[in-house]
Amino acid sequence: MPVKTKYNSEVEDLSEACKDYKLHITVFISIILAQFIGIRTINISGISIVLMPLLYSLIFAIAFYLIKPIKWISKKQSDRSTAIMMLLIGPLLAKLAIASGENIGIIFNAGAAILLQEVGNLGTIFFALPVALLLGFKREAIGMTSSICREPQMGVVIDKFGFASPETKGFFSVFLIGTVLGTPFISLLVSLLAYIIPLHPFAYGMACGIGSASMNAAAVSSLSAIYPQFTVQLEAFSGMANLISMVTGMYVYIFVALPLTEKLYSILEPISNKILNRNVHLDGDTSQSEN
Amino acid sequence: MGIRVKVKINLSFNTIFQWIIILLIFSIMAAVGNWIGFHSPLQEAFIGMLILCAISVIGLLIERIVPFNVPSILYISILALIIALPWSPISQPIIYYTSKIDIISLTTILLAYAGIGMGKDLKDFKKVGLRGVLVTFFVILGTYISSAFIAQAVLASSGLI
Repeated sequence: MPVKTKYNSEVEDLSEACKDYKLHITVFISIILAQFIGIRTINISGISIVLMPLLYSLIFAIAFYLIKPIKWISKKQSDRSTAIMMLLIGPLLAKLAIASGENIGIIFNAGAAILLQEVGNLGTIFFALPVALLLGFKREAIGMTSSICREPQMGVVIDKFGFASPETKGFFSVFLIGTVLGTPFISLLVSLLAYIIPLHPFAYGMACGIGSASMNAAAVSSLSAIYPQFTVQLEAFSGMANLISMVTGMYVYIFVALPLTEKLYSILEPISNKILNRNVHLDGDTSQSEN
Repeated sequence: MGIRVKVKINLSFNTIFQWIIILLIFSIMAAVGNWIGFHSPLQEAFIGMLILCAISVIGLLIERIVPFNVPSILYISILALIIALPWSPISQPIIYYTSKIDIISLTTILLAYAGIGMGKDLKDFKKVGLRGVLVTFFVILGTYISSAFIAQAVLASSGLI
């Protein structure tokens, strides 16, 4: 149960987490290795993918957890790491917000674009809801696809649907996957899209502010690796966009995103049912209709 | 289960001390990471980190002291933004030292802790399975690409790019 971890572990584990020097040393080793490898660009048939140190440090850390001979990294350290992560988000956001403050002039000029691109956060509904339904999710799909599933929306979902509801369960699966896999995923996605759909870097920079501090940071650092000459502007735009996402996130979610998702669900659900049932008939495969 | 009822931490010096210790560890790691990865001077990067961490601690304190149910991340963002504004008297040193910190070095550390934090949830991931992962990817893709297209359209129509 990730919520419980999020709010309670901070209290219980922080004093233990401070003293757990083996955990910190292990993390330190992971990041030193990761920084030595550095930013690498690999070419796959003309498309350059930027591999970031954050990707390697994630892999090293998981490896340290999984490798049996390393006994000092176990479930306890895992809990403590989650508690520590919550604290580390602060400096990350401060760094992005400083870029926004420093460049308040350019932000004012681009204000309309930054505000309007927030509407794009509703794009998840149109992209992900059909996919979720076709994969056989039912009411869970509403929790999963109505937002980026971060903290601002968490309270709303629990409040509206109840903790044990399928919507909330769906929300938390995306919350959990997004926390860990979302960051490396968006860092790869950003570099891939920059080559496939060459929009202006500023447009992508604003889009990086999707309302999640870690994903925002990962996305903007990938983008800056591609356009190093715009680093300052990209951080400023994304920091501001992220701030607006966080401030407005809850209200947009209650009044726009959830009703829209419900509406689209009522239209798409019967259609996806038909498609899935036909598949079941053809292949005799019932695994897809699992609830 | 009172999930939304956030556990109000007794704002003891102990808690603040723990925040500071963890943020100091974070600062050392980030300074070394910057030094290795981006060749920033160790000392200046460390001062930059201390500034970022001080802002975070102030944000966390405001969250605990002020009675509104507003997360600390908002206080931190707004505070950092204000002190870096051109008309802020301390903006020059703040911008100088924090510019020695590359944001990549911070995410690298965050993800190392995330990797270890993920360890205990590996089973949960298997349960949600590939379908959940796929949906999550589309959630992120949809949010990112839609925002980018709107931003592009508005920027182009207002002649900024």
